[in-house]
Amino acid sequence: MLIELFNLTKNFKEVKAVDNISFKVNRGEVFGLLGENGAGKTTTLRMLATMLKPTSGKVLIDGSNLLDEPEKVRSKIGILFGGTTGLYDRLTAYENIEYFGLLNGMDKREIKYSINNLLKDLDMNEYINRKVGKFSKGMKQKVAIARSIVHDPKIMFFDEPTSGLDVTSVRMVHKFIEKLRKSGKTIVFSSHSMKEVDKLCDTVGIIHKGKMAEVTSLSDLRNKYNDLDLEEIFIEIIGDKNEH
Amino acid sequence: MNIRYMLIVLRKELKDTFRDKKTIFSSIIIPILIFPILVLALGSGASDMLEEEKRPIEVAIIGNENTSIFTYLKKHKNIEIKSYTNPEKALKDLKIKAIIKIDTNFDETINENKTVNLDIIYDESSQKSAMAKPRLERIIDEYSNKILEERLKALNIKPNILNVVNINTKSVTIKDNGFALMMFSMMLPMLLTIWSAIGGIPAATDLGAGEKERKTLEALLTTKASRVSILLGKYFTIVIAGIMGTLASLLGFLIASKLNPDFLGSGVSLPPSSIGIIAIFCVGLSLTFSGIELAISFYARNFKEAQTYLTPLTIILLIPAYLTMYLDGRAIPEVYFNIPIINIISIIKEVLVSVINPLHIFIVLLWTILYVSISIFITVRMFNKESVIFRN
Ligand SMILES: Nc1ncnc2c1ncn2[C@@H]1O[C@H](COP(=O)(O)OP(=O)(O)O)[C@@H](O)[C@H]1O
Ligand SMILES: [Mg+2]
Repeated sequence: MLIELFNLTKNFKEVKAVDNISFKVNRGEVFGLLGENGAGKTTTLRMLATMLKPTSGKVLIDGSNLLDEPEKVRSKIGILFGGTTGLYDRLTAYENIEYFGLLNGMDKREIKYSINNLLKDLDMNEYINRKVGKFSKGMKQKVAIARSIVHDPKIMFFDEPTSGLDVTSVRMVHKFIEKLRKSGKTIVFSSHSMKEVDKLCDTVGIIHKGKMAEVTSLSDLRNKYNDLDLEEIFIEIIGDKNEH
Repeated sequence: MNIRYMLIVLRKELKDTFRDKKTIFSSIIIPILIFPILVLALGSGASDMLEEEKRPIEVAIIGNENTSIFTYLKKHKNIEIKSYTNPEKALKDLKIKAIIKIDTNFDETINENKTVNLDIIYDESSQKSAMAKPRLERIIDEYSNKILEERLKALNIKPNILNVVNINTKSVTIKDNGFALMMFSMMLPMLLTIWSAIGGIPAATDLGAGEKERKTLEALLTTKASRVSILLGKYFTIVIAGIMGTLASLLGFLIASKLNPDFLGSGVSLPPSSIGIIAIFCVGLSLTFSGIELAISFYARNFKEAQTYLTPLTIILLIPAYLTMYLDGRAIPEVYFNIPIINIISIIKEVLVSVINPLHIFIVLLWTILYVSISIFITVRMFNKESVIFRN
């Protein structure tokens, strides 16, 4: 097991953002965290990325306890946030990516090598040395992807990486995740779209109001509700929870 | 804490900060320009006044023109007699600087060895008229002294019998023009303290709230670098920006003194040790305020909010700066060395008038170390608080 969560909980004062959730992710698996707005996806990923301290519970990442060795954990992960992508507008694309490489312990030569590889994958040769201030959303998202992966982490977290992007950019992000999966990375991916999860993930965890409603492989899920379409399955599951 | 990561952050933030035209403008260009502009504006005003002192005084004279005093005034090179049908109005319009009223029986009274009245009417609300008044008094005194001498002669008394003590005054410091000294001992400490403290505000706004607003902070927090390394890298960027602002304003001060040598005075020079002491305390101030500014900036939800919170800092600084403006560097009350900000201004004032008091320096140094420690402590606490970093 590469990632293991045990009864993870996060409270913001009286709000139970994440309520006692547990799941495991195998090496090389793509895990989809599916839930509506406010379900607790971002909070979960932030805890996995050591940005937030859990109120209670335990997380092991590649054998390290998140609370004991946060810096070791961080060197093994990359994280990409969706929505408005944060980049330094006055730095070039290269400088943006290089900064995060340096902060993850790489030297300049390693970074150069890594960026050269990413340039091909992400097709951004043309504007790599331009300041990112005037980039389109799609271009920025490519820089953000490159930045999150420049240090070649074992584990990648994606928090709704396609939200707010146009169709071409969405496809680009999906292709990139496919590629990472083929290269054997372990991925935790959050989304509010069942379709997206179905397309990319092996396993899905459906999170609702901070609680894990169901953790299952996608094939099992489809067998269980064989006559329903994907969005209906999702509604069915969370509707179930609402009644309790 | 890891020095390597701190330096990576510092290098990046410096590059980023000094690529920002807004920051360059407010941290470097403006402080360079303030004093030259001030000197050009004030300087022209001041030389106007000096010119005025040399010019003859325009006056209107009411009363007996067939008097010795009238002839005396008419011949005097510093008096220009004008005639207006309505002298009061002319005075109000500043066509004349004063009105002199001469008694009808002026000469008769003098000849009877009596005291005679003479009125000078001037306008206190006008600076030029007010300046003419003492000059007129001096001119009339000269006339009065002449008559006095004649009276004494007639009595066969030597005029110097009236001089009992002849006072000679000598200043121990080289005479410099008063304006220059004022600029030097009042404006310089104010300038140095204010810029050291607030010079980093534009950078602080961008490095805390700006980073939050751009949503780059989250990504930054997921790197291998520890929070303290990231924080200190940012902190020293703000310190450097503050020091650059101070140096820029000093440069402006020097340019101003080149533009108008009267402004700073030629004789003003400080030994390196004094400059060193002043520099240490300016850096101390910068270290203190940079931390506070960064903490406030991280607390703010966004750029705008950070600006709103940080602007009052300038006003908070102006108060001690203003309170100590007229303080004499040679007579600073002991208690001042224990009041925040005022103590640093006091040390700078002392050093500027060449008073090097090791005890004062030691006390203020201890205080400064305490301020810096508190400031860094608060900033680190702030940066480690989830409710602050993810406050939105
Ligand atoms: N920093 C925070 N302070 C207080 N409440 C928060 C904070 N972050 C998230 N929440 C709350 O926690 C819940 C889960 O939010 P989030 O994890 O962002 O959901 P999702 O990413 O699934 O949309 C929401 O009710 C949200 O309002
Ligand atoms: Mg979210």
